[in-house]
Amino acid sequence: MTGILKGKRILIAKPGLDGHDVGAKVIALALRDAGAEVIYTGLRKTPDYIARVAAEENVDAVGLSILSGSHLELVKLTAEALKREHADDVALFVGGTIPRGDWDGLKASGVDCVFDSEMSLEQVVAEVARRLA
Amino acid sequence: MTAPDRARAPINRRALGRALSRIADASVAEALAVLEGEARASSDGWRCGITGPAGVGKSSLVGRFVNARLAHKRRVGVVAIDPSSPYTQGAILGDRIRIDAHGDDAELFVRSLASRRARDGLADNIANVLALLEAHDFDDVIVETVGAGQSQYEVRELVDTLVVVLMPGAGDMVQAVKAGILETGDIYVINKADRPGAKEMVAEIASVLRHPEGPEAWLPPVVLVSALSGDGIAELDVAAQAHRAWRAVHQDRQAALVQRRRAHVRALVARRLAEVIEASEAGLWDADVASAYHAVVAGLAYAAER
Repeated sequence: MTGILKGKRILIAKPGLDGHDVGAKVIALALRDAGAEVIYTGLRKTPDYIARVAAEENVDAVGLSILSGSHLELVKLTAEALKREHADDVALFVGGTIPRGDWDGLKASGVDCVFDSEMSLEQVVAEVARRLA
Repeated sequence: MTAPDRARAPINRRALGRALSRIADASVAEALAVLEGEARASSDGWRCGITGPAGVGKSSLVGRFVNARLAHKRRVGVVAIDPSSPYTQGAILGDRIRIDAHGDDAELFVRSLASRRARDGLADNIANVLALLEAHDFDDVIVETVGAGQSQYEVRELVDTLVVVLMPGAGDMVQAVKAGILETGDIYVINKADRPGAKEMVAEIASVLRHPEGPEAWLPPVVLVSALSGDGIAELDVAAQAHRAWRAVHQDRQAALVQRRRAHVRALVARRLAEVIEASEAGLWDADVASAYHAVVAGLAYAAER
């Protein structure tokens, strides 16, 4: 895994109201250990804020961590906000408690990849690297 | 020191974000080709460095200070630097959580940088990065260094005003003197004013500061601040404005330019050295130290000629 994300910049963000960021932090550290520069925004950020940070930081990917159940709505709003910042070419990942039945809906909103708790950190990092290659 | 009231185009965050990546990622050769380092867009521009040991609350202080600057109707660009891992090159860039918590101010732009090859508390091509922000019509450019304790000299030469942040209970005065932090600052902030010993520390730092020569010299103020509550931020803002005004009258512009150039060249050479070492054949390190040293120096000279 070492170095497979070297030179990549990734924003890890938590939109919405859930207050659990352990998963987001674990993912951020795994991406860092693979060589990425990870910008972490902290809890409860709006889609507009996330898109603004993505543009200012010129990231290669945005990873959203959502445990609130509002993933369909939050992802749609974030994708729209990215478009307003002319940053809709940035890769979009979503992780959290996302039922498999919602994956197609998320992908229709512009999500490149959905991660759930079934996947190992190695799988997540490898998939991110593959999408950003 | 309020910026002129003129119609301004909104900040193009996407375009500026990309331009900053181009210059931050540039090799030494590419950075030399651009050489924006000495051009200054606005004579009203002001560069401020915020430095100090890890954990003293630099980011929270920057967040508060930025709000004070924005209240003067100035357009503010912040560059916040965090360390890169020397092993993986990865980095967690977490300063902006504390700098733009709301993130809705139209006149604020924040960029996080990883230190990458830089070993001086700054980041690769930082001189060009700061110049690029100035060229994009920012009135105030604020740079927050990595939280190293003994590396304020490089940032000193890149900024107009250097704020050194300290806190009570973090190492004794001997440490502060050793680290040279009492020679470089234009303004000293004692953060975490609510902690025991904060007021005493203000007096202690003020008493051991290097005394300037001559009646016109700048005597660095020591300001007690709580970045948590915002107490003292107005005093810091007043001190910053006073230093700017003093500098406008008393500063030797030519000497400052020479210092800035020297720092810029030193950073470029250090960076080029890192590039040469990275590109060295693995077999080089099988030789003894003297041979490897001469090979690296020869590589540096060869690279400089091209």
